Amino acid sequence: MRKLVLLLVGVLLAICQLMAQQRTITGKVTDEKGAPIPGATIAVKGTNLATVAGPDGNFTISVPQNAKVLVVSSIGLGEKEIALTAVNDYSISLTTKTQDLREVVVVAYGERKRADLTGSVSTVKSADLENKPFTSVDKALQGQVAGLQSVASSGAPGAAQQIRIRGTSSITAGNEPLWVIDGVIVPTGDASRLTTTANLLSTLNPNDIESVSVLKDAASSSIYGARAANGVIIVTTKKGRSGKTKFRFDTELGQSDRAYTNNKYLPLNAAEYFSITREGLVNLGVTQTQIDATLASLGYNNGTDFNWYDAIQQQGRQQQYNISASGGNERTTFYTSGGYFQQHGSTINSSLSRYNGAVRIANKASDKLNFNLNLNGGFVRQRTPLAGGAFGNPVLSTLFLLPSRSAYNTDGSYNLSIGGLHNTIALSDWDIRRLKELSLRGSIAADYQIIKNLVLKTQFGMDYDVLEEDQYNNPFHGDGAASTGRAFSYYTRLSNWTWTNTLNYRRDILRNGDLKGDVTVGYEASQGRNYASSLQSQGFPPTLLLTWPSAGATPITASASLSESAFTSILSLGQLDYKSKYILSGSFRRDGSSRFGENNRYANFWSIGASWNIDKESFLNDLTFISQLKLRASYGTTGNAGIGNYTWRELYGYGFNYNQQPGSAPTNVGNVDLTWELNKPLNIGLDLGVLQNRLNLSFDWYDRKSEELLLDVPLSRTSGFASITKNVGSMQNTGFEFTLSGQPVVTKNFSWNSSLNFAKNKNKILSLPNDEDIPSGSFIIRKGESINSFYLRGYAGVDPANGDPLWYTNETRTATSNVWSTSERWIQGSSLPDIIGGFTNTFTFKGFSVEAHLVYQFGNMVQDPWGGYYVGAGFGATFNKVRRVLDRWQKPGDITDVPKYIYNGNKSFQSGSTFYLSEGDFIRLRNIQLGYDLPSTVLSKLKISNLFFYVRGTNLWTWVKDKNLPFDPEQGVASQQNLDVFIPKTITVGLNLGF
Amino acid sequence: MNDYSNSKRKKMKIFRNKIFLPLIVWVSLASCKKEFLDLTPSTSLTPNQALATPADLQVALRGAYAGLRGVDFYGRTLPVIGDVMADNVYQSVINTNRYTQFVNYTFTKADGNIAGIWNTAYTVILRANNIINSTVDASPAVNQYKGEAYAIRALCYFTLVRYFARPYTDNPNGLGVPIVTVRDPTLEPARNTVAEVYTQIIADLDQAYNLMTMYVNSSQFSKYAAKGLQAKVYLTKGDKANAKTAALDVINNGGFTLVTAANHASYWSNPAVTTNKVETLFEVSSDAVANLAFDALSYLYSQAGNYGDLLLASDLYALIDPADVRKALYPTGTRGGFPSVFVNKYPAISGDRSDTKVLRLSEIYLIAAEASLPGNEPDALLYVNAIRTRRNAPLIAATGSALFEAIITERRIELAAEGDRYMDLMRLKRDVNRGPNFPSSVLQILYSDFKRVLPIPQAEMDVNQNMEQNPGW
Repeated sequence: MRKLVLLLVGVLLAICQLMAQQRTITGKVTDEKGAPIPGATIAVKGTNLATVAGPDGNFTISVPQNAKVLVVSSIGLGEKEIALTAVNDYSISLTTKTQDLREVVVVAYGERKRADLTGSVSTVKSADLENKPFTSVDKALQGQVAGLQSVASSGAPGAAQQIRIRGTSSITAGNEPLWVIDGVIVPTGDASRLTTTANLLSTLNPNDIESVSVLKDAASSSIYGARAANGVIIVTTKKGRSGKTKFRFDTELGQSDRAYTNNKYLPLNAAEYFSITREGLVNLGVTQTQIDATLASLGYNNGTDFNWYDAIQQQGRQQQYNISASGGNERTTFYTSGGYFQQHGSTINSSLSRYNGAVRIANKASDKLNFNLNLNGGFVRQRTPLAGGAFGNPVLSTLFLLPSRSAYNTDGSYNLSIGGLHNTIALSDWDIRRLKELSLRGSIAADYQIIKNLVLKTQFGMDYDVLEEDQYNNPFHGDGAASTGRAFSYYTRLSNWTWTNTLNYRRDILRNGDLKGDVTVGYEASQGRNYASSLQSQGFPPTLLLTWPSAGATPITASASLSESAFTSILSLGQLDYKSKYILSGSFRRDGSSRFGENNRYANFWSIGASWNIDKESFLNDLTFISQLKLRASYGTTGNAGIGNYTWRELYGYGFNYNQQPGSAPTNVGNVDLTWELNKPLNIGLDLGVLQNRLNLSFDWYDRKSEELLLDVPLSRTSGFASITKNVGSMQNTGFEFTLSGQPVVTKNFSWNSSLNFAKNKNKILSLPNDEDIPSGSFIIRKGESINSFYLRGYAGVDPANGDPLWYTNETRTATSNVWSTSERWIQGSSLPDIIGGFTNTFTFKGFSVEAHLVYQFGNMVQDPWGGYYVGAGFGATFNKVRRVLDRWQKPGDITDVPKYIYNGNKSFQSGSTFYLSEGDFIRLRNIQLGYDLPSTVLSKLKISNLFFYVRGTNLWTWVKDKNLPFDPEQGVASQQNLDVFIPKTITVGLNLGF
Repeated sequence: MNDYSNSKRKKMKIFRNKIFLPLIVWVSLASCKKEFLDLTPSTSLTPNQALATPADLQVALRGAYAGLRGVDFYGRTLPVIGDVMADNVYQSVINTNRYTQFVNYTFTKADGNIAGIWNTAYTVILRANNIINSTVDASPAVNQYKGEAYAIRALCYFTLVRYFARPYTDNPNGLGVPIVTVRDPTLEPARNTVAEVYTQIIADLDQAYNLMTMYVNSSQFSKYAAKGLQAKVYLTKGDKANAKTAALDVINNGGFTLVTAANHASYWSNPAVTTNKVETLFEVSSDAVANLAFDALSYLYSQAGNYGDLLLASDLYALIDPADVRKALYPTGTRGGFPSVFVNKYPAISGDRSDTKVLRLSEIYLIAAEASLPGNEPDALLYVNAIRTRRNAPLIAATGSALFEAIITERRIELAAEGDRYMDLMRLKRDVNRGPNFPSSVLQILYSDFKRVLPIPQAEMDVNQNMEQNPGW
């Protein structure tokens, strides 16, 4: 067999020799501004002959005499075909366009020309990711990709980000897309255990990223099988290009502030608080003596009016520095970079700093054998304050702590008599909440051309994340006081490896090249391990200087555990291309996973896709204004394996200890029939380019059915279990999205680029176990309705006669009642938006450029679950209130929506209802940037290749529809505000220097 | 071809044939093995593994006790609401909003603490059921563990039926709570009658009494702790004859002794579990490691921490004779500008935390006293004065209904801040009449008020199609 192969190779080589009557072509590849594109690929169409442009964009290639067309391409830029004439020197200019059909895009297990795609793939280029004041790349994706919702809930540096591609498909199994970095499936999300919010992607420097591809439909994503249901995000890091070593330096400095403020939700000052509290005590009906005593105990007239709101805010600061070098020769290329990033949030005690390094080396050992080494490391230090109802949460302090209680005593020391709450100013000084996060992501790969067009590729990829979390609560005040000080030290290690082996074969099926085939088969194995150890001790010496658990007298927690999962898969991909007009693709993957019971351990996923490049048809030749016209369709299956590693097993857990002796208890009800969720996405798309692609439209309609949903079905608590996980229920997301981009004006000195993306999604629950409602907190999951539907009592306003809060008795809204508990709940909208998108405009005039990027979201509701404490008509009377309570009912006949203020509360007004629900529609100026590119005449004098200055504003302007929206409209997918660190608006100045 | 390219090609071939391809094949096969996908958790076992031996049952038993420590069970909510819903304990104007809705009777069927009581009780019942239903061969040790599990289960049902149903003394055939004695996640049980629940509880306590042979310490059930609980169950049920018989069995045969006046203060300040059989029949242990931290009961009463929300009603304080050693448990001071009486029964807020007393010998004496009435006043005086004597309090000499009232008042004083008072007012079908410390809008809560019985939690109503809500909710 081997001899046969060698013989075949020999014959093919001989044929090549026969054809070797050569000519030499030279030229230069530039971008539309005339800047050279080093590393651009220049290939002879229909052959394997290719070369790469040098650092100055120049190239030389020997081509056969009969060669007719050169194909010039570069990742992230367009591809151009150059017809060869008698001339031997060519100037070739590639254009940057967001939806250029000739663009080369990174897809699952390889790259493809956009024109050959049958699926729905969006890409984001490095330019849109670099040098942004965001701690992780996921935050930069908001509004950049049609149908991708990226939403934060906390403005803390390093906070987790939630991403939804084409809606929510799962109730319990996770809705985050699969992230693949340089071909390796990596864990993302928040792996921390003590930190309020963290993000594994914080350790990846966005400046090291060359492109991000978002795979949205079956044809593009189902090759990732049981993990592809929520779409796939493929991150490709920067590579070296042969030629003179190029250096690049980027820096940015800035500062930030709270992005959104509703004045109705600012806290009361001392006079206002005591006035309303006196009114509340009078309304409660207590004696004057009691009123005076109570007010005095709250610090009435003590001369203090402390503004906690101002005190817990700080001027956010931001800086980053990145330097990279890339270069190499024909055999070996490299890219290496280093970076430093620092951000301080707008709330005390919130900060992140990151150190990054990356190296990527590619070596061509022979014409057939290539090696690739890629290592990307990041180290993050993060401090994040508590959120939600924790007394140590500084944001809670602003609303709860009384203005009569200062953070400081008159002698300047911290005031620790703060009414049972915590002085968060003191705690930010005395306590420690620290996260150190180290990630190493890397791979080694080799590909070997066994015979012509048959390439064997193997890649071993590793992702290694270590989180060290340290917490210290001092013995004097706050969360540590009860235990006379306590300290935690948590260590979490995620290690994942993936071994991928693929065999790719491509050939012309018809000898004239009209019909081409491309098949990949492969095998992939991966394993993930999550190791966690936890330490806690209490009983600290009376000092602030000893902060590590060793100093504690009483050990409280000493635990370590390991959680593992494994996947094995066989996969295959195929594509047929007839004259580049008709393209048919298919994929198949068989996945096995440890997360599912033996009975259901393996499943198959497949897809088919087709596209028709109508512009290649002769009948469109006359319609010269149409430069591109393409129809796409795909259908297939994907899975969601996002479920606990051992959920299917019935388990007894330990740690239910008594008198410090081991105790056990049932922890998991188990279900041996568990398997993955099945998604069936159908996608139909159209790509249109007119007037030499001055205007491009890409439109997709989809219908995504999700079946066998993994659901935590609530059990009667009499069983002793809260819920059981089952494969029940189904859900549908239908919608459409489009990206419209164009260049309305292009002149020699001025250009205007504009891009609008828009996505509309409708989510609907199709079936549930017995079609019974599943209520959960403020939400309900109900057949026929959107998941994440708010299920609350309908607030009907205030009874003008007596100031009582009123609720509608039921959904008909015909009658009201002042009894909260007997009023019915019904669906009050969804936390999921109907419409999301972004709108970008870029103007360039000579060297100047202005870029404005708006993001928008319409149609969702936002809940304030904590509102009962600070607008609850006197509930939580000893806590401060916000200005909205000043609108309370005061005398018969008053028309208002805030009830009579009664000390300790008025008829359950503080309990959940639509009073605490607002419309979430917003438009936000996510990015505005004014830049100046130094002209080449100056650059050449300075002996540098480019220099760009800019001023950038992030989140500078926000429009919200609902004037009663208490806090920032970006509150995560669940749209429930949780007294988080404020989302910042940031102004930065920066420069990019290339030499 | 020259030598160089020859050797290079050879190396390549070696690489390809000897290393590259075999390596890929080997790894592929290795990860194909069935075990590759068969991964077991590092910190959990299957029920069969976890309940295989007598020692395993002992471990599971500790898990059941640990469940009793839950924040919405004996860890905090039960001992708190048993007083704040009654007339013993009120909320300071300076408070952290904990249990406000129980002081003011504004709780709803969505209340988290109420759901917590329900959920914790049945969670512990499951833990007990798994021990009771274990097929491990019987032995004295296994019998002891099963006996303790029976007692734990009885305690859970006794808690549920008293809070979620009208008392047995009201209507034995009224709605009780569902009786679940097996592991079955698919159950959606309907409510049994109150009488059926009491029958189950008494039967479980008989089993506990018969199976147990060992006394471990104050934080675990023993034979006579189970009998003592049964005495309380009978009394609550209104079955005074059986209550007295059971109480006397404990008093005469249990080997426990009453705490004396001299040791009274140290008894309450001791956070540790005891083995001296003084006073405590059963308590739920919180230690330095396994405790509820800020959510501990002690944190709500102690003025040393950040909370200290709960204060003793001044009218109750006035009932305690100045010479009575119990008065020393209630230091006075001011809080929120008001003169206040603090509660020092749970002083340990750090290190080994104060335990929750569930059943004390003194209560068994008071049960014996109450159960002696109306027929046997000398016995009633004997048992109630046994307590008065040991508290340095003046002896009771009343007769007739005054004697009965004196015993009920003695219960109020002796068991103050232990979560018992409201249960007394329920079984006696009395209105809650509160002193001036309480908000003026809730000075009286009639026995007939539907809120005197907790609602079945909304979550249970939503899930269980056979569940019936209490009237009024």
